[in-house]
Amino acid sequence: MSKLRIHPHLRIPALAVLALAGLCALYPAPSQARTIHLIETGSTLLYPLFNLWVPIYTATHPGIRITTEATGSGTGIAQATADLVQLGASDAYLSPALQRLHPGLLNIPLAISSQMVNYNLPGLNDRPLHLSGSVLAAIYAGQIRYWNAPAIRALNPGLTLPHHLILPIHRSDGSGDTFIFTQYLSFSTPAWMMTTGYGTTVSWPSVRGEIGATGNPGMVQALATNPYAIAYIGVSYRSAILKDHLGQAWLKNRAGRFVSLTHSTVEAAVASRAPHTPPDQSISLVFAPGAQSYPIINYEYAIVKEHQASRHMAQAVRQLLDWAIAPTGGNAPSFLNRVGFAPLPKLAVLQSRRQIAKIH
Amino acid sequence: MWFRRLLAFFALLVPLVLLGIAVFLVFYAWPAIHYNGLDFLWRDTWNIGNQYANPVQRHGETVMPGAQFGILFLVAGTLGSALIALLFAFPLGLGAALFLSEAVPHRFGHFVSFFVELLAGIPSVVFGLWGIVFLIPFLSHHVFPVLARLFHFVPFLTRPIGSGYGLLTSSLVLCLMIVPFITATLRDALRSQSTEMREAGISLGATRFEVATRILLPGQKTALAGATMLAFGRALGETMAVLMVSGNALNYLPHNIYSPISTMAAFIVAQLDSALADPTGMAVRSLAEIAVLLLVISLITNGIARLLIGMLKEHTL
Repeated sequence: MSKLRIHPHLRIPALAVLALAGLCALYPAPSQARTIHLIETGSTLLYPLFNLWVPIYTATHPGIRITTEATGSGTGIAQATADLVQLGASDAYLSPALQRLHPGLLNIPLAISSQMVNYNLPGLNDRPLHLSGSVLAAIYAGQIRYWNAPAIRALNPGLTLPHHLILPIHRSDGSGDTFIFTQYLSFSTPAWMMTTGYGTTVSWPSVRGEIGATGNPGMVQALATNPYAIAYIGVSYRSAILKDHLGQAWLKNRAGRFVSLTHSTVEAAVASRAPHTPPDQSISLVFAPGAQSYPIINYEYAIVKEHQASRHMAQAVRQLLDWAIAPTGGNAPSFLNRVGFAPLPKLAVLQSRRQIAKIH
Repeated sequence: MWFRRLLAFFALLVPLVLLGIAVFLVFYAWPAIHYNGLDFLWRDTWNIGNQYANPVQRHGETVMPGAQFGILFLVAGTLGSALIALLFAFPLGLGAALFLSEAVPHRFGHFVSFFVELLAGIPSVVFGLWGIVFLIPFLSHHVFPVLARLFHFVPFLTRPIGSGYGLLTSSLVLCLMIVPFITATLRDALRSQSTEMREAGISLGATRFEVATRILLPGQKTALAGATMLAFGRALGETMAVLMVSGNALNYLPHNIYSPISTMAAFIVAQLDSALADPTGMAVRSLAEIAVLLLVISLITNGIARLLIGMLKEHTL
């Protein structure tokens, strides 16, 4: 039997061709004539939820392929406006200036997220600390420097707080978490609103001992490794906080009550604020009135262009979004509970459907 | 003839790409350069303005109210961390290169060299992760307190020691990343020197140390300067690892060596997402201005390296 001989110079190209053929065999051409490929990019807070949705959704909707990317809310907005992706994901609603600049851009709430304020106080992490917006603003502005400052002691009678420098941790990358946290500080403390304000990035006052961390995982890591630090972290990371035995504060709401982050306090906040949502759904849910309302919650938005590249694409986007906000679809507790999100209230679902119907 | 043209095309491609990037960056950043003026270099404010207000006209440009861009703290963080890294990396790299080329048997030297080169190939995010998980807790709990107590009389080394994220940590991580550059380049240069030189030195009664420092090293000044500047350039532009361990200070200069910093390259990554949401585009253009500045600083570094090498060459001849 004669052996197959390949000229030495041709061996590498021959191997490459073989490898390519192998790859092609692994990825067969789609059997369906028309496969629609949707791309989602943006918020790292929405990303885990999209990743729970996609396998279930694509299994029941053949002909749809969805790619998800965690890049950040700003990128989500920018790429949706530039027609690079069909779905941008953002923790913050579009600013009035952006809406004027891009008239056909919709922000459609998909679910409700909330935020924890966590701390690492050795020996006190299992005792819920009471904190208010104005005390947090003073900590992040460097006016309250020590854990046993009178203002903190006054909110926590009966707790022996250490005389130790507070290390405030904030996000150094642009973030929807910074947006809602600084909104809580701004709405509760006029002085903060005047000097620093709110945004996905703010010009943080310089404070001794402060730490800038990247992403929610970076926040958890910085908090876990730095005793006497304080941080604001998205609710999806609650399991990481519990695992590291870090503290979670009760926050003072607009009614002056201290509330913990639970299903019922989030629902109370949604119930009090959601009826005021305008038709374009650009609204902050932070610092909602009501005795039981948890103060830091927000809509998680899909940023979508009204006019899509083709009729089929528009139909695929509408179908996906309609499914995502349905209580029996993407808003089912089986999905939301796993990331700590709350479902949209009935009114918001109706408004979202009206916005989704505009996509063409 | 066609062959020569093809080669000329390939040869020109690289400088043209560089020129293209530089021209694009300057054009893109131009409104920011105009708006920020020279204050860009002397001020410690990075504020993209109130994104939820209406844009306003200032200095002939449309910006969000309150927008102000000054990056002195970034320039200080970038140069500071790279210089301190070089301070550690230079003796380490020099020692390692001498050790590998002069002090150990060739086979063992090859074996260790392999690991040095491996160190150069590690992705920087791995260094960053290691820095966060191991180095930062270790330094802040065990090293910095001792250091601050030992040097309590030196202004820049005293307390407060902070959280471990900061200038010294960034410099140490950078140092590990650039040592292999210095070591590998210098080791090759030392090896290339003839054995006769070594034999002549030893036959005259010089010790191994004297041969290395008096005979071999002086002949390799150029290589040493080149390797050092190359390493410095790498430290200036390093992004990911520094982003993870620097503490990302915003709008203030480091008050001591343990204080958080931020570097130009890391800052561009950290701020891009927020900047993209700025409807006036000024925030992204100001980030591009930082990139222009980083490009200029690397050009200056390279220029100094060439000058240094040229001067040393003349001196040796």
